[in-house]
Amino acid sequence: MWVVRPAQLKDLPDIKALASALKARVSSTVPADEAKLAEKIEYSRRSLAGEPDTAGNERLMFVLENTKTGKVHGTAGIDARAGSGHPFYNYRRDALIHASHELGVSSRVDVLYPSHALTDRTLLCSFMIAPELRGTEAFELLSRARLLFVARHRALFAKLMAVEIQGVQLESGAVPFWDSLGRHFFNMDFETADAHSGALSKTFIAELMPPNPIYVTLLTDAAQAALGQPHAMAAQTCDLLDREGFQIGNYVDIFDGGPVLEARTDMLRSVIGSHRKTLRTGEEIRGDVYLVSIGEGEAFRCVLSVLSEGLVETVKMPVTLQTQLNCSHGDELLVVPL
Amino acid sequence: MLIIRPLQETDLDDLYRMAKSAGKGLTSLPANKDRLAGKINRAQETFNQRCAPEAGMYLFALEDTELKQCVGISGIEARVGLEEVFYNYRLSTTVNASRELGVHVRTPTLHLSNDMTDTTEICSLLLSDTHRKGGSGLLLSRCRFMYLDDFRRHFSEKVFAEMRGVSDESGRSPLWDALGARFFDMEFSQADYLSGVGNKSFIAELMPKFPIYLPLLPGAARAVIGRVHDNTAPALKMLQSEGFNFNGLVDIFDGGPLVEAFIHNIRTVRESLNRHVLISRKPINLEVPAEERVMISNRSFRDFRVTTIPMQCIKPDTVSIPAEVAEALDVSSGDLVRLAPLKDAGRSPIQMVAH
Repeated sequence: MWVVRPAQLKDLPDIKALASALKARVSSTVPADEAKLAEKIEYSRRSLAGEPDTAGNERLMFVLENTKTGKVHGTAGIDARAGSGHPFYNYRRDALIHASHELGVSSRVDVLYPSHALTDRTLLCSFMIAPELRGTEAFELLSRARLLFVARHRALFAKLMAVEIQGVQLESGAVPFWDSLGRHFFNMDFETADAHSGALSKTFIAELMPPNPIYVTLLTDAAQAALGQPHAMAAQTCDLLDREGFQIGNYVDIFDGGPVLEARTDMLRSVIGSHRKTLRTGEEIRGDVYLVSIGEGEAFRCVLSVLSEGLVETVKMPVTLQTQLNCSHGDELLVVPL
Repeated sequence: MLIIRPLQETDLDDLYRMAKSAGKGLTSLPANKDRLAGKINRAQETFNQRCAPEAGMYLFALEDTELKQCVGISGIEARVGLEEVFYNYRLSTTVNASRELGVHVRTPTLHLSNDMTDTTEICSLLLSDTHRKGGSGLLLSRCRFMYLDDFRRHFSEKVFAEMRGVSDESGRSPLWDALGARFFDMEFSQADYLSGVGNKSFIAELMPKFPIYLPLLPGAARAVIGRVHDNTAPALKMLQSEGFNFNGLVDIFDGGPLVEAFIHNIRTVRESLNRHVLISRKPINLEVPAEERVMISNRSFRDFRVTTIPMQCIKPDTVSIPAEVAEALDVSSGDLVRLAPLKDAGRSPIQMVAH
């Protein structure tokens, strides 16, 4: 059985192995460095414990565990406030019309403006999953469990949410958008910049990023083509988030030009569609598969289960699952259809 | 004899013929008779002080008195950018540095500017192919510096020239193709023509207003920023020897450089001197090589005339000139004239007198 639960320090070796197996870009939000990773897990634990210094800047990390083996196969995070107290950088895609009445011409000019507008939105991040699980129910469980957590702890999170989607990277490892823009200013290759952005304070972005807007037409054709495009590997993530109600907005990543998906927190399918139900013990369970979450904070767990709806906001759940989740008759669940 | 005088209505046909043979690249003088007639008219208004001083457009003709033909022109625009907006790019440096990472990156950047607004420009130099020898080009260009100095209150302290940038035989400009054309769907030659007929600021309004980071442009475009067209190299050299320097501004279309100087620092101004005219009855051999000639101006605002005479004519207090030269300059004995060297390599009149 798959369960999503808060990350713990004991998950560190599994997460590290997963991060290094996935060559894709996750480094900026899941550091490969063991000490940094431990720090991130610890920060998540302290956020869930409600320690005062994390208040307002909670950064949570969840893992997907196979309960049979105890092994972790994926991670998913939420930053309560993008930037966590620092500026959060993006480019905003905008347009200017260059027109001359006298010459009878008018043309649309696409411009990238440096922006901090997404700072303080709630950010879904640090998503990685073992490749063989992509597109499976476990994949959906891992991604959406976070939204059930949000629904359950709504006050912790902002009105608006954002997700940065990995941008285009070629087989060779080259990142066209970076090579056409960032490289000139940061004077380093993409991996280095990306690793810095995961590990260091973001001050270096403020220091090195070009301070003025960028005309899209001056970028290379490859960079223009990559602008706002998700990496092929992120397609399923995009589909899932699209079904949740996320939309591609006007923001792109400053490093790889990948799109930022945006949504109103209260309009997300998992938030609107989730209901509080009281657990009843039953024998014969027939019905649909649901994401079922129980517990708050560090005790938060989320699994997939067939539920049968009872009367007066009650549901019945298989006893085996109840045992595994350590819950019983009368407990309150938050459920949403898969 | 070759003589500089104000451009007048009768020069229209000669001017049109010159503009036509000059072809592309001469933005300020398009081969269009109405426009040229308009320019002549504006010059006449200026010399006769029938327009505001800052609206002045001083155009001088080089006349071959034997052919009775105008064989070249040069001009001074009293102030640019007052009616229309005058645009340039300023070539500057953006530094991004991170001490934490030990990164220090310098990025050359073009900033759109109107810095030359209200400054005097020397412009519109055009010389017929038949008269390219014997220092005619120098006379045509340098005579303006004597005028600028004698009538300084009509001009700004600083004067500049826009140098033609790089384009190939077919009229393609690498900078235009990489920058202007991206924002404005037009060939450089067409944009250039529109500039000449007074639409430059319209086009400029379509150009990018935010700084342009040069690493985003292709190498061919970066290479021509601040560089002059091969045909303009001699003109640049001449202005440099006068003390003009690149001022960091370039043309927004072709990237050609602007060079500027303070009038009081211009070599022709510094090395010139005034003398009283003495009309000589003795014959003077006027046919000496350009190296031995000096410019002589009558210092008239309304009927500015300049020609060249042998250096030997300069005496300690006077300058001896034959009657025909005096007549051409419209001066008589006792009038104060201004003398300045014609060629860089030549000895200046001051040195001449000292010996």
